[in-house]
Amino acid sequence: MIVAEQKPLDEIRRMIAPYGRLLILGCGTCMTVCDAGGEREVSFLHNALRLAQSRSVNGAHTFSEYTLKRQCDSEFLEPLAEKIGDIDAILSLGCGIGVQAVAERFPYMPVLPGVNTSFMGAAKEWGVWDERCAACGECRLEDTGGICPITRCTKGILNGPCAGTKNGKCEANSDVDCAWVLIYKRLERLGQLDKMRRYYPPRNFLAIPRPKRLKSKVNIAAGEDDG
Amino acid sequence: MDSYLADNQRQQVSRAEKALDRSLMPPCQAACPLHMDIREYVDLVAQGRIMEALQVIRSGNPFPSICAYVCTHPCEEACRRCQVDKPVAIRALKRFAVEFGGDRMVRVEAETTHHEKVAIVGSGPAGMACAYYLRRLGYPATIFEAHSELGGMLRTGIPQYRLPREILNTEVERLSWLGVEIRTNTRVVSLDLLFDIGYKAIFITIGAHQGLRMGIDGEESPGVIDGATFLREVNLGLAPSLEGRLAVVGGGNVAIDAARTAARLGAEKVKILYRRSRNELPADPAEVDMALEEGVEILFLVAPTRIKRQNGKLSISCVKMELGEPDDTGRRRPMPISGSGSNFIEEVDTLITAIGQAPQTPGDFRVRMGRGSTIQVDPVTLTTNRSGVFAGGDAVTGPATVTEALAAGRLAASRIDDYLQHRYPRVDTESRQILAGTLLPETIEMIKKVGRVEPPVLPLEARSKDFKPDELVYDWETAVNEARRCLRCGMGAEILFQDKCATCLTCLRVCPYHVPYLDDAGTIQIPPDQCLACGICVAECPAKAVILRKPYDRRQVTEELNHVLKSAAESKSKPFVIGFCCQYGLFGTGSLANLWHEARAGIWIVPVLCVAKVEAEHMLRAFEIGAEGVFIAGCGEKCARENTAAWVRQRVAKVQKALGQLGLEPERLQSFFVDTGEDSAGELDKFIEQVGELHLASVLMKEVES
Repeated sequence: MIVAEQKPLDEIRRMIAPYGRLLILGCGTCMTVCDAGGEREVSFLHNALRLAQSRSVNGAHTFSEYTLKRQCDSEFLEPLAEKIGDIDAILSLGCGIGVQAVAERFPYMPVLPGVNTSFMGAAKEWGVWDERCAACGECRLEDTGGICPITRCTKGILNGPCAGTKNGKCEANSDVDCAWVLIYKRLERLGQLDKMRRYYPPRNFLAIPRPKRLKSKVNIAAGEDDG
Repeated sequence: MDSYLADNQRQQVSRAEKALDRSLMPPCQAACPLHMDIREYVDLVAQGRIMEALQVIRSGNPFPSICAYVCTHPCEEACRRCQVDKPVAIRALKRFAVEFGGDRMVRVEAETTHHEKVAIVGSGPAGMACAYYLRRLGYPATIFEAHSELGGMLRTGIPQYRLPREILNTEVERLSWLGVEIRTNTRVVSLDLLFDIGYKAIFITIGAHQGLRMGIDGEESPGVIDGATFLREVNLGLAPSLEGRLAVVGGGNVAIDAARTAARLGAEKVKILYRRSRNELPADPAEVDMALEEGVEILFLVAPTRIKRQNGKLSISCVKMELGEPDDTGRRRPMPISGSGSNFIEEVDTLITAIGQAPQTPGDFRVRMGRGSTIQVDPVTLTTNRSGVFAGGDAVTGPATVTEALAAGRLAASRIDDYLQHRYPRVDTESRQILAGTLLPETIEMIKKVGRVEPPVLPLEARSKDFKPDELVYDWETAVNEARRCLRCGMGAEILFQDKCATCLTCLRVCPYHVPYLDDAGTIQIPPDQCLACGICVAECPAKAVILRKPYDRRQVTEELNHVLKSAAESKSKPFVIGFCCQYGLFGTGSLANLWHEARAGIWIVPVLCVAKVEAEHMLRAFEIGAEGVFIAGCGEKCARENTAAWVRQRVAKVQKALGQLGLEPERLQSFFVDTGEDSAGELDKFIEQVGELHLASVLMKEVES
């Protein structure tokens, strides 16, 4: 799941300053789950912005709010078409993908990001999120006992641990577990310690063509998928 | 400013949904023959809103003061708090509400809108209730009573120490206010006569006053009397002098009443003979305990076999019993123990038999009778075999409870109304689902154990020789604390907008009682029979998909805020400080009373039903409508429920951070919890002073800027 956090209010206020009528647009999927842009955060932000406005002499914004099921698919954006007739900008609390999808769907509407999209991760406990995947495109979790050294090792090294591991913690941050110690212990439990002896060649950082595109369907006719 | 809600279009769509009461019927209400809204009035008592509690009580019960004394409270047996510790003392709370709410001051009125006269034969609880509701429906009603005063078993059967006569007299008086025609000392012998003199419908509610016989030798001897007759004579003012030893046969409430009454009338030694054991004793355990305290002795597993009178004394041959297999009623059948060792003789001066009663219906009524001399009626329409003749109460059911009789009277009134208006009677269908199910062990474990507090009783020496009411009323604080023990069954949280739910698991993670769970399909379920309506998941759900089932609970903070806003606009003064205070603690425990009493001009209190329901948006909203400072005052450790303080502190921290980013001082928002042991009034003073300084500084700042 994508994890994000809401931008500081002062930054949001600077961002919206040029626009009078704003629609605060929430997203009902990842942003709801990570407490960054669900219906509650939308109304919290709405209240906060109105409070700011009630305390300042200048600035005459009007706000409305709406939360979509998902911002990253254009089909979900359709109900928005009739809501943006009288607004000047959309303040999207979707992740970076959502913001771009909305911007693409409404070419003449400014779309402002209300959250900082941070990483892909999972909930450790209620309200605490940990990064778990860097979307590197070459998954090696099979070799590392299901623990990703690229995200969980500070250095992201493939042949660890480095000399900086101390009592199972990372030298860069003593609160963080050394990913390679975790990997070792897990492989030990699985009886696969031999995997620690293997050498993994470095990842190829040279040619990562962006933007990436994936096709999950089979090409039936040539040229159909161009675009 | 009113666009606060309107802005959110999804909320607009759901507004109709929001007004609906989606709560389930709690088990107490389902168990009550009158289906009183017990959960509601108990909650109102917990909030200290006694007058409203009384209103709720009166809307479901014609004679709440009577029930407050003598109800056998089947609701308490059904109360799911039993599974945690002990049931909520519902009857005692009702007593508190009627006494403190001023039930005796309530004046009821009725207007005659129909001309069809209805006769009510018998003035027990069923007859009185029927008359009450017939008058409310607009019918002229006449009560015929054979005895000199109204009340039936309430007057002749129940001892004065359990139901003071002034309570009954007040209700009788109220019936006269209502315009019920009362004919005492009038025994009805023929129904035809009543029809002849113009009555269009008759309700027979003659009770069950005839004591059953044991069917053993010597039962007719002088000195043997049945319990109902004994109590009737005592209660109607004949005071038989009882001397020497006395025995009562039976184990029901009548037996206990007779025994305690006899003890008060001077019997030297009172023994109860009961053929089963203490576990099977049908009488109210509290009454049994009091009887034992007053010196009544109960011999269990004993049955009389023969009575012989000699030298002015009765010698009762008794046999010891043992319990065999369960019988039809589910109770274990008592069997005499054979052998000479099990026989013994009890010497007494008086023997009271209280083994049950049956109705005694005059043959001239010509109504069809059923088992145990009861009148046979259609259970839905309450009609007998004679057209226009209805029957209810003990005369139909055999000896039953006051509440059942009241329910029968109420039903009869509406059935008679149907009959007289030529309507087909409808079967009562309760649309609301009844909440059933037991609490899970993990839920029970997390529920704060707060012991039941029984209302005080008169000390033994003050009550044992006197007919004064033996039970006293709760004081204010005890009543409120007792009421707060209610688990609010069926009022809990519900995922109303399933499409909004992102299955983020917030509710599952924040629930103090481990109630929400993921089903096999990966959908969150909040089982209504486990949820205790604390409201924490409602305030935390990031998708706002969860609501509380009661409309008042889910709307009220926003509504109260809008109310503050409106009043502020009217008084043309800005609220200076807004405080969200727990309604329960504020009035209930008195510990927050200081905050309330100290509230001065410019301090607006928003009462909330537990601070756990105050959302971060509410706090921002309070600032938006002009507050210079906002505080939240909760009960902390004293909270009857989960420790809500942590939740409030969390939300306060979030809002404080936002305030900081908006250029407002975070100190403008604070939470107080009375459990910290600090002087809360002093703390509040300090806070207000601080807010004042901040305000002054900001005003100066603006001056400088301009």
